[in-house]
Amino acid sequence: MIPVYICDDERPVCKSLEQIISRQILILDGDMGPVRAMDDPDKLLELQREDAVPAIYFLDIDFPGKMSGLELARKLRGYDPRGFIVFITAHGDLAFETFRLRLEALDYIVKGDLDSMDARVRDCLESIQERMLSQRPGQSNYCTIKILDTVRYIPLEDILYFEAVGYRHTLRLHLISELLEFNSSLEHFEKELGETFWRCHRGYLVNRAHIRNVRLKEQLVELDNGETCLLSRKAKSAYRNQV
Amino acid sequence: MPFIFRLGTVFLVFFCFGFGVFKMAFGLLGQKIKKIPCVIYIAWFCAASWAQAFLGLLLEDPLEKLFFELIFLTLHAVVLGLLLKKFCHLPFIHTLTAAVLGNFIVYTVYNVVNTTAFAYSPVFDGKYLYVLTTIYIPYLSAPLAAILASYILGKSSFYRYFSHLFVHRSRAALTFIVSFALMCVWTVLDFFYPDSTPDAGYAVFFFSLIVAALFWVQFLAMYVESQDKIKAQEETILQQQAHMELLEELRQEIRAFRHDFTNLFSGLALQAQEGDLAGIQEFMRETSNYFDTKLGNEIQQMDCLKNIRPYALRSLITTKLAATRKKHIQLVLETPCPMNETQMIGTEDLLRALGILLDNAIESSSEKDGVVRVILLQEEKELYLAIANNYDAAPDLSALTRKGYTTKGSGHGAGLSSYRRILSGYHGCVSRTYIKDDMFVQELHIPVV
Repeated sequence: MIPVYICDDERPVCKSLEQIISRQILILDGDMGPVRAMDDPDKLLELQREDAVPAIYFLDIDFPGKMSGLELARKLRGYDPRGFIVFITAHGDLAFETFRLRLEALDYIVKGDLDSMDARVRDCLESIQERMLSQRPGQSNYCTIKILDTVRYIPLEDILYFEAVGYRHTLRLHLISELLEFNSSLEHFEKELGETFWRCHRGYLVNRAHIRNVRLKEQLVELDNGETCLLSRKAKSAYRNQV
Repeated sequence: MPFIFRLGTVFLVFFCFGFGVFKMAFGLLGQKIKKIPCVIYIAWFCAASWAQAFLGLLLEDPLEKLFFELIFLTLHAVVLGLLLKKFCHLPFIHTLTAAVLGNFIVYTVYNVVNTTAFAYSPVFDGKYLYVLTTIYIPYLSAPLAAILASYILGKSSFYRYFSHLFVHRSRAALTFIVSFALMCVWTVLDFFYPDSTPDAGYAVFFFSLIVAALFWVQFLAMYVESQDKIKAQEETILQQQAHMELLEELRQEIRAFRHDFTNLFSGLALQAQEGDLAGIQEFMRETSNYFDTKLGNEIQQMDCLKNIRPYALRSLITTKLAATRKKHIQLVLETPCPMNETQMIGTEDLLRALGILLDNAIESSSEKDGVVRVILLQEEKELYLAIANNYDAAPDLSALTRKGYTTKGSGHGAGLSSYRRILSGYHGCVSRTYIKDDMFVQELHIPVV
């Protein structure tokens, strides 16, 4: 069961949203609940620790005198990086792009007209259910990467290879649909990730699962998407011995 | 004379010269002298000079000798340039030019004093006295002149002007070539006029040459700096004009809105008089979003602009806003909270990095209905930047890291690699590139110091 939280400092909004969400969960027959509504962001932070993650959060955009929705969402993300965050806003002029990219917020709901809120909640819950289902089968391992003060969990199967660039300890991580550059060392990841990855060159650490073939003559390792990594002489002879 | 005395003299000579060149190069760069590179350089200088002296004996042909000496001169300059690069964290061409110029100045001073000493020193009975006047004084003059010259250059903050000569690649190359030619002038002159008898006129001529050269460099650098300043000011004026245009547009829209609004209201007043409650409710529903759709976007953009700091960054974004308006690309700006005045990245580098990302996004956004979104979010521990654009054909992420990758035909593609070069100078920055919901997103996290 995925717990659902609603946090808004306007009681009536909280109440009606709670009703809408409970009803939609029933209709969807989703694996979600219990639905808990509160008006205090601190209480939400407390409750979050006591229950399972990932969870679904419906958050107000601002709690005057306490914290902003942005801050609350960031704190929630710290504990639950894969949770689903939906914002509740009074008007349409919300800077949603920031929330979507920075906090990977799912969507936002405009308070007011009950019918349109109902429809929006249904959309949100459907897309959450879809995502949960698509995530289920892997049960995969994650690679943790600390980026400044946030931690990212990257499924191992998404990783193609790590590449060392320049001489200032910069790593470029090639994911299936993303590039990430940060300061770290290949040695660190080689140790952490173990046998599933292959250090085929001083500057490359390749995910074995994504290797299409090893071209010994050209000293290259070809990956699923056609990219190539260099193959060192040492790794080449080790590879030959293994085969 | 005892062998030890001779050996000591030679070492002293090398030491003086090495130190002189080193001090002069540091002076040209406006840096405080550092011990470790100094020791390394003098050691290298002694070793190389010994090698040069012995190898020089093997050569007979004067032309060969000329090339041999030029190669050693260049080698000295390169080693010093590398040392300076390592310890002063300046670009190589910058330090190399300083090394070359330092070599030229110190050698010229030495040469002038040496010639004068040889020409005018009385022939003493005591050998030691003769050695003192013809060897010690000229060689000691080298470091002394270097110390004096770097003191004067430091006082006139020469290094500031000097660094302006290295802003552009072509300018830096020209400066380097001229300095290199100056450095070689002595060796080449020796080759062409080996037997010229030195006298006071000769010495004075070359002394004025070095002074003139220094003045020339200083004036050139000052001129270049003033040109740069003018250009920067012109840019600021342009950016301010763009800002004014934005304000003007907003003013006109408010006028139009006011006109509309009074019309709508008179209609509403009529309905109220007739007691048409349902009609009024209908009207309210229809017009509740009216203000937001008409002016919301502009006002939100102005609010966001206000949060952007430092001022130069605000100007950059304003210019881009104006540019995208002309191209009918929708640029959405989100800066929910005020930014810090100073960032870990120097303002100039921040501008360049962001400028590259913005230009890329604007150029590669969809031909029809282009959308670019810019997010600047100041957080407690980092500055978060994200620039997203829609596209006609999805960019190939795996090809993106290739040098010179471009979707725009030849002549493009330099942006991303220089973006990476800028960031590689700062430890702790994280950049992320991905595609999300049909938008190509470039993210940059800059830690707060």
